[in-house]
Amino acid sequence: MMFWKVLKQYRVKGLLILISLPALVLPTICLVYILWQGLPVLNWQTLSGEGVTGFGLEHGMFGQIWGSLLLMLGANVLAAPVALGLALFFNLYANHNTQRTIFTLLHLLQSIPPIVYGLFGLFVFVHLLHLGISLLAGMIILAMIILPLLVLNALHALKAISVEQTESARSLGLNDMQLICRVWAPLAWPTMLTGQLLGMARALSETAPILFTATVFSGVLWPSSIFEPVTTLQTHIFYLAQEGGNAHVVSIAWGAATLLITLVLLFSLTALLLRRIDQHHRIS
Amino acid sequence: MILLKPGLYLITSFIALLVLAVPFFLVQASAPFWASAGIKVLTGTEWFPYEMLFGMLPAIIGSTWAILIALFIAIPCGVATAIVTTELVSSSLASATRMGMEVLAAIPSIVYGLIGLWLLLPLLQSSFDLLSGHSLLAAGLILALMILPLITLMSMDALRLVSNTQREAGMSLGLSWEALLFRVLLPQAWPAIRGGILLAMGRALGETMAVMLVVGSLDRMPEPIMNILQPAQTLTSRIGREIGEAAFGSIHFSALMACGLLLALIGLSISLFAHTRVVKA
Repeated sequence: MMFWKVLKQYRVKGLLILISLPALVLPTICLVYILWQGLPVLNWQTLSGEGVTGFGLEHGMFGQIWGSLLLMLGANVLAAPVALGLALFFNLYANHNTQRTIFTLLHLLQSIPPIVYGLFGLFVFVHLLHLGISLLAGMIILAMIILPLLVLNALHALKAISVEQTESARSLGLNDMQLICRVWAPLAWPTMLTGQLLGMARALSETAPILFTATVFSGVLWPSSIFEPVTTLQTHIFYLAQEGGNAHVVSIAWGAATLLITLVLLFSLTALLLRRIDQHHRIS
Repeated sequence: MILLKPGLYLITSFIALLVLAVPFFLVQASAPFWASAGIKVLTGTEWFPYEMLFGMLPAIIGSTWAILIALFIAIPCGVATAIVTTELVSSSLASATRMGMEVLAAIPSIVYGLIGLWLLLPLLQSSFDLLSGHSLLAAGLILALMILPLITLMSMDALRLVSNTQREAGMSLGLSWEALLFRVLLPQAWPAIRGGILLAMGRALGETMAVMLVVGSLDRMPEPIMNILQPAQTLTSRIGREIGEAAFGSIHFSALMACGLLLALIGLSISLFAHTRVVKA
C-alpha cells in the first residue's frame, strides 16, 4: 500500500523527470562520442597530409582550416559595420514606427532559412554579378546570414544603457558623435563583443549556403585572391562523411568534426563567459 | 562628423533594400519554371528533372513529416526539462543543464549529419531491420536533437520569468505542486514557450546538411503516406543534392529556385504568425 501511495504522490514529477532524461544526458553523450571518434585521428600526419594519398587527404587539413577562418572573418568584417550602423540609426534617428518596422524586418530576415540565402547568392553573386564560385560570394552570403543576429545583439547592448546617462550626456552638450564614442561605446562594448563572437561561431557552423557558392572539394591551400574558391572544414566533413566504403576516410571526417567543434566552442563559450562576467559586473 | 546622419540613413535603406532583394531575385530566378510548369506542380507526385517532371508534393510531405516527428519528440522533452530544471532541482544542476544545452546548440549542423549518418542510421537499421536506415524517421530524430536546445532554453527563460510572488500565492492557497504547475506556471509561460516552438519549427524547416545526409534523397511519395521508414526527400535536401548538377539558366535550376522560394515563404509566414500573436498578447 505504501508503495502505491508514494507512486501516486510523485507520478507527475517522476514522469517529468523521465521525459527530460534525454535532454540531461544527450549533450554529454554527443560530445564524448565525437571526441572519442575524432581525437585519435588528429595527429600531425592527418593535419599536414604528409605521406597520405587519395581522396583529397594528401593536402591535410590546414587548407580547410584557413578557408573556414577566412570565410568567418570576412563575413564578420562585412556585417559588423552595417549592424552597428543600423543599431545607431535605430537609437538616434528612428521614430517609433520606423523602429517597429526595423524590428519586423529583422525578424523576417532571420526567419529565411540559410540555404535560401545560399540560392539567392548563387543566382545574384555567382551568376548575375559574375563573381563565380568564390571566397567573396561566400563572405557576402554568410554576412547576410549573421546580420540579424548582430543587429539584434547591438540593439540589446544599447538598450541596456540607462536613459539617465544618455540624457545627462546630452544636457552637457555632447553631439551625436561624442555621445557614441564617449558614453555609449565604453558601456556597450562587452555585449557588442559577445554578439560578434556568437556571429563568428554562427558563420563557422553554416555549411549549406557555402557548399555551392564558395567552396570546392579539395586542392586549395591558400586562395590567391578573394575571387578564388576555398576549401572549408564544414564541406570537407560533408564530402568525407559520404565515403562509406572507406573507414579511414570517415574517421578523418570525425577528426575534422572535432576540429570544427573545438573552433566553434572556442568562440561561443568565450562569448557566454563574457556575457556572464558582464552580468555580474552590472549587478554588483 | 556631418557625415554620421546620412551615413546611417544610407545603411538603413541598404538593409531595407536587401529584405526586398531576396524575395525579388528568388521570384525572378524561378519565373521560367512557374511559367512553364504552372502552379499545379505543387500537387504533382513525380520529380524527374530530365523528363521535365517537377512534382513538388513528395518533398513537401517529406519536410512536413520530418518537422512533425521532430516537434513531437522535442516539445515534450524540452518543456519537461525546463520544468524539472527550474522547479525541481538545485540551481547548480540547472545551470549545468543550461550549459549542456548551449553546447548542443553550438554543434554545427554538418556534425549532426555525421552523427546521424554513422551513429543513428546503423542503430535504426538494426532495430527496424531496414535496408540502409535512410528514412524520414532518421531525419526527424536528428532534427529533434537539433531543436531540443532551442525549445529547452526558451522554456527555461519563460518559466524563470514567472515571478516568485505567483508561486508563493499559489502555495499559500494550498495548491498542490501539480496544480501550481498546470494552473499557474505553464499558462503564464505559454506565450514565450509557443514562441520558442515556432522558432524551432522554422529552424527545422530550413535545416539542410544533417537532413540531407540521413533522409536518403529518394524522390517519391511515402507508400502508404504514413510510412516514415522509407528513404524520402525534403525540400532542403533536394536543393542541396541537385543544385550542383543543375546548369544555370535551365528549367531544373529554376525549379530548385522555386523550392527555395517556397521555403522562404513558409519560413516568413511562420515568423509573421509568431510576430502577430506576440504583438496581440
